[in-house]
Amino acid sequence: MSKKTVVRIIIDFVIFLAVIQGWWFVALPIGLAAVLNLPYYAEIVIAGIFYDSLFGLMPGSGIDGYLASIVTLTAYIILTGLKKVVRD
Amino acid sequence: MMKLSGANNRGRYRFAVSILFSVIVVIVAGTFLYFPQIYSSLFAAVARPFWRIQFAVNSGVLKTEEILIMENETLKRTIYEQNLNQATVRELELENLELKDLLGRASTTDGILAAVLVKPPLAPYDELVIDLGYDFIHSTTSRVYAPGHVLIGKISEISGQVSKVRLFTSPGQKVEVEIGPKHYPVTAIGRGGGQYEAQLPRSALVLEGDIANTSYLGDRFFAKVVSVIDDPASPFVKILLASPVNIYQLRWVMVEN
Repeated sequence: MSKKTVVRIIIDFVIFLAVIQGWWFVALPIGLAAVLNLPYYAEIVIAGIFYDSLFGLMPGSGIDGYLASIVTLTAYIILTGLKKVVRD
Repeated sequence: MMKLSGANNRGRYRFAVSILFSVIVVIVAGTFLYFPQIYSSLFAAVARPFWRIQFAVNSGVLKTEEILIMENETLKRTIYEQNLNQATVRELELENLELKDLLGRASTTDGILAAVLVKPPLAPYDELVIDLGYDFIHSTTSRVYAPGHVLIGKISEISGQVSKVRLFTSPGQKVEVEIGPKHYPVTAIGRGGGQYEAQLPRSALVLEGDIANTSYLGDRFFAKVVSVIDDPASPFVKILLASPVNIYQLRWVMVEN
């Protein structure tokens, strides 16, 4: 197992624990840093859905209930595109 | 030629991955929007074991038996102390309410607050002993009011530190009152036990629950009709009245100067 894979698994686990605790302010910066530094870090989107499933989606919460999913998906698309532009 | 073929393959691979990713996002977003409970239950099931572990750790599963016993004892002691404090607070609240009631309504009158030292049934004949003496009370005709500014009696004896209050419900005591919506004037005679008796002609329309007021005190609530006894042999009806104040539970009174 390569070093990058180990780092990726550790980051996944830290984000997972942060999301379980509801600490979006921990999970989000780590996730964004991971998107910038690791290839195809789609776990951030799963983390967003995970967060919304646990703490969003209240009846009557409207779009607020999907905020984490929207933010993570948008961040993933933008940062992945940005990475490609910077590298090219 | 080989390079071009490799670049083409990579391009195709990326395109396929992007398409796959987009399809997955669309499917997930669709189910997420229309069936959010699926994700909630799924992810909650994933998170639950971790939450349980956290709860167990926070609840003291890692603590030793001695520490738990000690904590238990401390908590029991705290609960006991809290209960005692609460009982004291409740008692003070009650006292505060009674005093506010008494002082608030009597603020325009020149009254003196007195604590009831002895009351029925310990005191006989519907009498009270209050903690005011010569220093505060100068007249044996001073009226005495219960909380709610209900007239209940008069000072009958004054000594150095205490005074006696003869309640109007004391047997034989007479008070002029007006009964019912038509204000029939009548003399209420004390019967003891917080009750009065009065007589009215049979033609007078008085019902149970009617109010009796003392006219000379500005129509203040004095008593309530609890029973109307109609004897066909008598030209009068006997009316039993009860004071709105429970004389067995009086703790404070106001003495008019």
